[in-house]
Amino acid sequence: MARMKFICDAERCIECNGCVTACKNEHDVPWGVNRRRVVTLNDGIVGAERSISVACMHCSDAPCQAVCPVNCFYKTEDGVVLHDKDLCIGCGYCFYACPFGAPQFPQAGAFGLRGKMDKCTFCAGGPEKDNSKAENEKYGRNRLAEGKLPACAEMCSTKALLAGDGDVLSDIYRERVMRRGRGGDLWGHATAYGVPGAKPAAQPAAPVQQKS
Amino acid sequence: MKSVYAKFAGIVGVLTLSLSVFAQQSSGPTLPPAELAKQQTERTTQQPYNNQPVWSNARGATSGYTSIPGPEAGVLIQDGGQTWRALKNGTVSVYGGWALVAMMLVIGGFYAWKGTIQLHESPTGRMVERFTLLERMAHWSTAISFSVLAISGLILAFGKNILIPVFGFHLFSWLATIAKTLHNFIGPLFIISCVITFVVFLRDNWPKAVDFKWVASFGGLLSGKHVPSEKFNAGEKIWFWGGLMVLGIVVGASGLVLNFPNFGQTRATMQLASLIHLGGSILFMVGALGHIYMGTLGMAGAFNAMKTGSVDEAWAKEHHEIWLNDIKAGKIPAVRSKTHAQPQPVGGDD
Repeated sequence: MARMKFICDAERCIECNGCVTACKNEHDVPWGVNRRRVVTLNDGIVGAERSISVACMHCSDAPCQAVCPVNCFYKTEDGVVLHDKDLCIGCGYCFYACPFGAPQFPQAGAFGLRGKMDKCTFCAGGPEKDNSKAENEKYGRNRLAEGKLPACAEMCSTKALLAGDGDVLSDIYRERVMRRGRGGDLWGHATAYGVPGAKPAAQPAAPVQQKS
Repeated sequence: MKSVYAKFAGIVGVLTLSLSVFAQQSSGPTLPPAELAKQQTERTTQQPYNNQPVWSNARGATSGYTSIPGPEAGVLIQDGGQTWRALKNGTVSVYGGWALVAMMLVIGGFYAWKGTIQLHESPTGRMVERFTLLERMAHWSTAISFSVLAISGLILAFGKNILIPVFGFHLFSWLATIAKTLHNFIGPLFIISCVITFVVFLRDNWPKAVDFKWVASFGGLLSGKHVPSEKFNAGEKIWFWGGLMVLGIVVGASGLVLNFPNFGQTRATMQLASLIHLGGSILFMVGALGHIYMGTLGMAGAFNAMKTGSVDEAWAKEHHEIWLNDIKAGKIPAVRSKTHAQPQPVGGDD
């Protein structure tokens, strides 16, 4: 049995947000909700900037599932964490508990009126009949039922974001790491980072400091 | 000077310790982001693909850049949720839940032992005004809203474990939707009721020397001896200050933080508020169980005081002797209602 996982290779992610767009388009995700987002750490610092695409990680021991007061979460046999929007009461507990900021709500209204939670489904829909109209309206397209992998990973232009069975993904990633080699032997390394040991050839202008 | 510094260091230490529970749970000391970025820049040239400095700070509140709008969208991983989950599902709910059960058992045991405590003297038939209509309305709006909040809150907090096996998922989800909606809309009304009740009953709840005697003998509840008290005995005063005021502020303020996510407060704030709200409201319910018991089943005649507003002189003498004496001496006006609604005798025409 497959154990579905995402992996994002930060050496490949170019922060194009193609995955975000693919997801929004595939599922008609409403305004204000982004099932996937790209976070760039050390933005603008040469050599230290890394981008990574993040969404629901479909945890083995999912905190959202543990704190949900109505037990609306369930795990498919592929290890995908899904939820039932008919049961969701919009309390926001899953949003407090999730490390990745995956659960989101269409509103953040006064008196706790948030609407039903929405999150990445690993393109596996919800509890309704596969590819039914009801499922599509609530959760978006069920690509897994069509034999396809999540749209975000399929659309990734650099193949930084991979989705699929954990065993397959780790084989791919392991091979990548081995082929990359290390140090100055890397293909393109000198172009990207200059000669090992030397300072980078070109530095961008220092960010303009705002004087207050 | 030294002791001042020591005290200050102690306070800072305690604060840091308590805050660190909600901060990131990193295994070692974390460097500031700028320092890590510098390390990463060096490492990229020396050891390409070794991104340890980037990821060592990825857990926690480090915010990166993201083009996605939304609160905290730049935070890659927040660690507080894990702590919140552990405390909410574990410590607070488990101890809190059993505290409620224990309080119910204590009250049940006390009732089995003492039953409803009756007056020692027979009623005189002379009634004394105890609560005006305004006071009763303030009390009952607090009491009713509290009960709605307590029941709906318990459904949301423990229904998962207790009610889902009985009702099933769908029926419980409807119940939880009703509970959540009631909880969120009645909550602010409860806060307003608490403020009005506080103002209305403040004058009669100032602690006096006589209250310490009452506390020392626990109001004579166990010994059965008579302990004189004012309009409110020390137990009621403790409930006024500790329950209505302190727990009212704690539970009310934390509730508002959770109830109005539209102000964009962070998840860390709401996690902390949620735990305070849960813990505080359990203490509130434990206290309320005692208060409700004393006002209904526990003491004969107590419920009528809050229902009709007047009590028999014999009841007043037994439970609030100083107050009754003050009324008789004219220190407190016997009738405080502007339009005193005395129950009229029925059928006495001929």
